[in-house]
Amino acid sequence: MLAHETTSFVLSVAYAMHHRRLPRRTFLQQSGATLLGLGTLTLPQVISTRVLGATYSSPSAKDRLNIGMIGVGGMGNGHLGYMLARQSRGDLNVVAVCDVDDNRLAGAVKSTGGKATPYRDYRYLLERKDVDAVVISTPDHWHAVQTVHACESGKHVYVEKPACGTIEEGKAMIRAARENKRCVQVGSQGRSQREAFYAHQYIANGMLGKVHTVKCWHYATPSDDHPVPDSEPPKELDWDLWLGPLPWRPYNARYLHGVFRWLLESGGGQIRDRGAHVMSNALHFMGADDTGPVTIETKGRVPTRGLWDSAIEMEVTYQFKNPDWTLIWAQPGEMVPYPDRDRVKNEGIREGYGAVYYGDKDKLVVWVGDGQVYTEKKALEYQPPANGVQVPKSPRFDHHEDWFEGIKTGRKTIMNIEAGVATANLCVLGNLSLILRRKLNWDPVKREIVGDEAARRLMSRPQRYPYVL
Amino acid sequence: MNPTSPIVAGATLGAFASLVRAADNPGVQALLAKIKNPDDHVRGPAWQGAGTFGAPAVVPLGEAMTDPDFEIARAARRAIEVIVRHAGRPGAESERRAVAAELVKLLDHQALPVRRHALWMLSEIGDDEAVPAIARLLGDAGTREDARCALERIPGPRATEALKAAFAVSPEDFKYALAHTLRLRGEQVAGYPSRKLVPTKKTTLTE
Repeated sequence: MLAHETTSFVLSVAYAMHHRRLPRRTFLQQSGATLLGLGTLTLPQVISTRVLGATYSSPSAKDRLNIGMIGVGGMGNGHLGYMLARQSRGDLNVVAVCDVDDNRLAGAVKSTGGKATPYRDYRYLLERKDVDAVVISTPDHWHAVQTVHACESGKHVYVEKPACGTIEEGKAMIRAARENKRCVQVGSQGRSQREAFYAHQYIANGMLGKVHTVKCWHYATPSDDHPVPDSEPPKELDWDLWLGPLPWRPYNARYLHGVFRWLLESGGGQIRDRGAHVMSNALHFMGADDTGPVTIETKGRVPTRGLWDSAIEMEVTYQFKNPDWTLIWAQPGEMVPYPDRDRVKNEGIREGYGAVYYGDKDKLVVWVGDGQVYTEKKALEYQPPANGVQVPKSPRFDHHEDWFEGIKTGRKTIMNIEAGVATANLCVLGNLSLILRRKLNWDPVKREIVGDEAARRLMSRPQRYPYVL
Repeated sequence: MNPTSPIVAGATLGAFASLVRAADNPGVQALLAKIKNPDDHVRGPAWQGAGTFGAPAVVPLGEAMTDPDFEIARAARRAIEVIVRHAGRPGAESERRAVAAELVKLLDHQALPVRRHALWMLSEIGDDEAVPAIARLLGDAGTREDARCALERIPGPRATEALKAAFAVSPEDFKYALAHTLRLRGEQVAGYPSRKLVPTKKTTLTE
């Protein structure tokens, strides 16, 4: 890439970041992995602070948050790019980076200009009194343990979605945040998106009438079509620490990186990876964060070979009561193409997932539900009456910014831990119904499975010591 | 069945009796033949449909978990999971007990992955009957952590008592893990504070 192309590319990403028009993963990959790869000090120098803009801006040196990054591959590298951009305008300091893969760790240290202290074991990072907050971007099986430990160590937490891997993990995360009075934001950033706000406003003000059904669609989970035998882990990887709470087993190259998502234990398939976005919005728009379904029933097709065991295709039906409505996660389901083809082309809109909200008066389509959210023109143009329902809005439609505000003011964030757990529970229960091959009954108040002893046992997963809640 | 056949090399006496019975069960033999089929289009539907084969298939599938073809071993492992989850359904108490009893036989298998898998499967459907056999593995360095996890999940005082008994005689380093599980089960344990926040893995990178 030529120098002028580099600059142009960086600026275009900065613009997209400001306007939130790139798909989440695309944005993070470009802003993190690619940009940092261009030269670790390039990013802060090229992106002007005016373009980046934020409300959590220019705190005094003593008020600047000291951030520790736990997990710096994939999404973590994207978050690191964001934080370094904020560091460049004096908003915060990235003081520590942590990863169980030395190659990734070395890359992260380099991208901070050598200023952040590297750690393999996140517990050394948590011991530091000068770290105010952590960003956790590890595989799913670590989310709960590290969030609980961070809260208990007095750190505020931004944790990647989905929040928890089991029902009991979710309860522990909520308890840890409340008891330690820590601000926890879960990384379902679709809620903070501009068009998500307009869709929410449109639905909450009754423009669809009574919403009775939300149908999500998403493309299938990949299968491990070229399985490999177990082997020795690569020398740069601490396999024991990667496994952490999971039962010990030999290393297999199909566990990582990135592909941990396709295993039930460490990820859980598309329903957890993207369901944690699309269904997060569904609970948000329906005002259902404090509720849950009463029944969950899954049909699906799982891989016939390979290590990955998440369903390739699945359909989960969640029945809610009082008010009554039905949420359907369908993989692949019926994809609704985005109507503005020029916008699809120009803005790189991914149409692979989204949801249709069916009311008794009208319906509304919300595309993607990931880091980027699009909805129909009628919702974007809608002006609520003066006495209309006010829905939450993240500052500058920026999910990280919402977290900073939550830390600063003590108010609940838009994807607070209770909401994050409510969403993750949908994903957990969908997969449980799949592996148990039966309908589950759920008590949304006590947040527990009822009438099925074996299923109840799967609400928790004993963890390998000392990587325990 | 030839008792010196490699297929029963890992079996103990109880498991051997199960294998002999399975040899006379055409349904189980057909299932095993499909599980061992090199074509995943045969093998896959076989393990996915194994649920109704129940207890008689558990020990033979445990043996198949030692197959040198890792995809066949994996199919056998997953077939056991399907059987366990089917047997755990509400209203199938006798089926659940029968499957759990067969899983207990696998706890003495010579192959560590088989013992470990049986422990985790018993964590899902095991009860007081399985506790003594699981507790024995608390003294086995290769399986003690999985055994602790299995007992953590099994409700009832018998599992708690087994953990307490193990705590009294376990090596010092394992007592911390046992203390954790006992506390989760509401027991008071003197000493052995949680090590969950104690870092142990040194960073090899320099700043």
